[in-house]
Amino acid sequence: MNILELHNLKKYFATQKAVDDISMEIKQGSIFGLLGPNGAGKTTLIRMITGIFYPDAGDIIFKGKKFDAEKDAQLIGYMPEERGLYKKMKIGEQALYLAQLKGLSKKDAMIKIKEWFRRLEMESWWNKKVEDLSKGMGQKLQFVITVLHEPNLIILDEPFSGLDPINANLIKDEIYRLAKNGTTIIFSTHRMEQVEEICDHIALVNKGCKILDGTVQQIKQDFKENLFEIQLEQIPETINNSAFELIGINKNGLTVKINEGYKPNDVLSYFMNQSVGIISFKEILPSLNEIFIKLVEGTPTARQFETISA
Amino acid sequence: MKKISLIIQREFLTRVRKKTFIIGTILFPLLYLALIFGTGYIADKTKEDLKVALIDKSGLFTQNLLTQTSDGDTLNKLTLITSNKENIITHFDSLGYDGYMVIPQNFDWKKGVDSVLINTKKSFGLGAFSPVEKKLNNAWKKIRNDSLGIDTIKEKIIAKNISLKLNNEKNKTANAGAATMIGYVCGFLMYLILLLYGSQVMMGVTEEKTNRIAEVVVSSVKPFQLMIGKIVGIGMVALTQFLIWIACIFLIYNLTKSAGVSTGAASDVVGKIQHVFTTVNIPLVVGCFIFYLLGGFFFYSSLYAAIGSAINEDMREAQSLSFPITMLVIFSIALMTPAISNPSSKIAVWASIIPFSSPIVMMARIPFGVPNTVPYWQLALSMLSLIIGFMCTTWFAAKIYKTGILMYGKKPSWKEMIKWAFTK
Repeated sequence: MNILELHNLKKYFATQKAVDDISMEIKQGSIFGLLGPNGAGKTTLIRMITGIFYPDAGDIIFKGKKFDAEKDAQLIGYMPEERGLYKKMKIGEQALYLAQLKGLSKKDAMIKIKEWFRRLEMESWWNKKVEDLSKGMGQKLQFVITVLHEPNLIILDEPFSGLDPINANLIKDEIYRLAKNGTTIIFSTHRMEQVEEICDHIALVNKGCKILDGTVQQIKQDFKENLFEIQLEQIPETINNSAFELIGINKNGLTVKINEGYKPNDVLSYFMNQSVGIISFKEILPSLNEIFIKLVEGTPTARQFETISA
Repeated sequence: MKKISLIIQREFLTRVRKKTFIIGTILFPLLYLALIFGTGYIADKTKEDLKVALIDKSGLFTQNLLTQTSDGDTLNKLTLITSNKENIITHFDSLGYDGYMVIPQNFDWKKGVDSVLINTKKSFGLGAFSPVEKKLNNAWKKIRNDSLGIDTIKEKIIAKNISLKLNNEKNKTANAGAATMIGYVCGFLMYLILLLYGSQVMMGVTEEKTNRIAEVVVSSVKPFQLMIGKIVGIGMVALTQFLIWIACIFLIYNLTKSAGVSTGAASDVVGKIQHVFTTVNIPLVVGCFIFYLLGGFFFYSSLYAAIGSAINEDMREAQSLSFPITMLVIFSIALMTPAISNPSSKIAVWASIIPFSSPIVMMARIPFGVPNTVPYWQLALSMLSLIIGFMCTTWFAAKIYKTGILMYGKKPSWKEMIKWAFTK
């Protein structure tokens, strides 16, 4: 079942088509990566999903019904890229206030804050102020505030920036735990190694348009270039075969590209016929990073201002 | 509604709990009093005592005469120089005189002269020599009186004056003096509250924007709710402060009344307050003040909120953008003075009806009496237009606020902000 469906969303600003006809579907309980270079329109897209902006055109279907910002805002948790908290307010009171704004009663909010603070070892923070916290601590607090009201959909914009590996893992584990319990998570980032590690499904946005959408595995398959890595006992002096082209030699072995119409077996049998001992043979799939760069490269890195007549 | 009340609570409590609020509430009236009495005291203390040499060529003045007519003023000295006149003229400075003057030889006791030059080496203020001037004139008056044979009894008879007293037939208790005083106090208090708390709204909004907390909050509540919550919360802080002051005045009034007339300066002030209480319709004034305080506050603070949402960290941006609004408040206070001196004039009537100036100007007029000076229709029209006025500014501000609070980067101009308001 899809928790969120976007149909032909559009949002134009005075000088930019921030989001130009984007559609996508997000399954309940999945961890969805929303990728894109700076200024691609991710934040605008997220702001429409969180009800901060109204789309100029298109529909947002949330849990099978048309999205109603006022009612559904409580079912969504949003952590913006730029962290925001009241600097002078005590942390406990702040969490309580923001949870109540999400519609929790004071009593429920209190119970949940205590529980989360205990789990993330933040109990001693209650009477401290945000200005007393380090950047990473602030991040952790922001995360707790985002998920406190047990939303169905959590949107995290660059959640790991500024976190040390230990705290990043802590948050990562919490994300997995939430997803296992049926919470859907949208991840907006340009840190590809994290996406590969965490996300089931990704969409790539550039210049206001969606240019890629699918599972991580599927996308890697789609963009593979038939590259293989072979480790040999010793590298023959001449390698010449119509089945593949030699791309590179290094101390681990050879990188080859199998030509159209040939199979990996053709490569292996060539080396076996030459009586060279094969140690390993492995397909090289492109990393998301490479796919990202390949797709985005060639388009201007900064978006140009244009005049929109809407 | 529940969310707005949560926001109001937070805005109110975080401010009221601050030390600055408590200190401000106590200190402000003290500072206000200090300002009123202190400037008088300082002006008194900083007055220079002058020593002036008088060189009389006419022969009419004597040192005896000068001493007789000095009216007990021993601080300023006017000394007749009889010998060594040339020496005085060249060396008056080193002889300890602040200046010297020469009464010309042709000085006639009947006609006198238009002016006498007072020669100094330092620069003095315009009024600095008025005690000396008074001494000189007293002496001359004595010369004239003696020449005409007018003794002190005759002089007293001549000096009698008739003063005019105002009697409003419709409203026997109307008292222009007390009304003027209350009018000034109300007008200035309103002015201060509007500017101080208006800029608090502006800074509060900017703080939320630059902290990026706004983005978190507007994913839970509508931007309009956040803005209204902030304005109402801060408005309630202003109201609380005002009510504390009013309560204090009543408390002091009742305490001193029950304790009987006390002594010294306190009794003077209390007496004045008692006088004001009996001549002016205090409940009406306080009630109207609360109405205009809230109305004016909503009118201006929503505009300040709009500006707060448009600017970034730089406070100079705030100054340049809020300048037109601050000017409106200052313009209102400028209209207040003529309105108090003539509360029924056309300018006073219209300035007290037009929303931007009505909170200050109307509050300056109301102490003169409703319905005599301010007819009911004017009061009703003024209140209605203020309500409509603040609804318009709030609507306008909400539009700007909605866009501005999520917009980072360049400071927008007023033109751009107005464009935000009129595009969806």
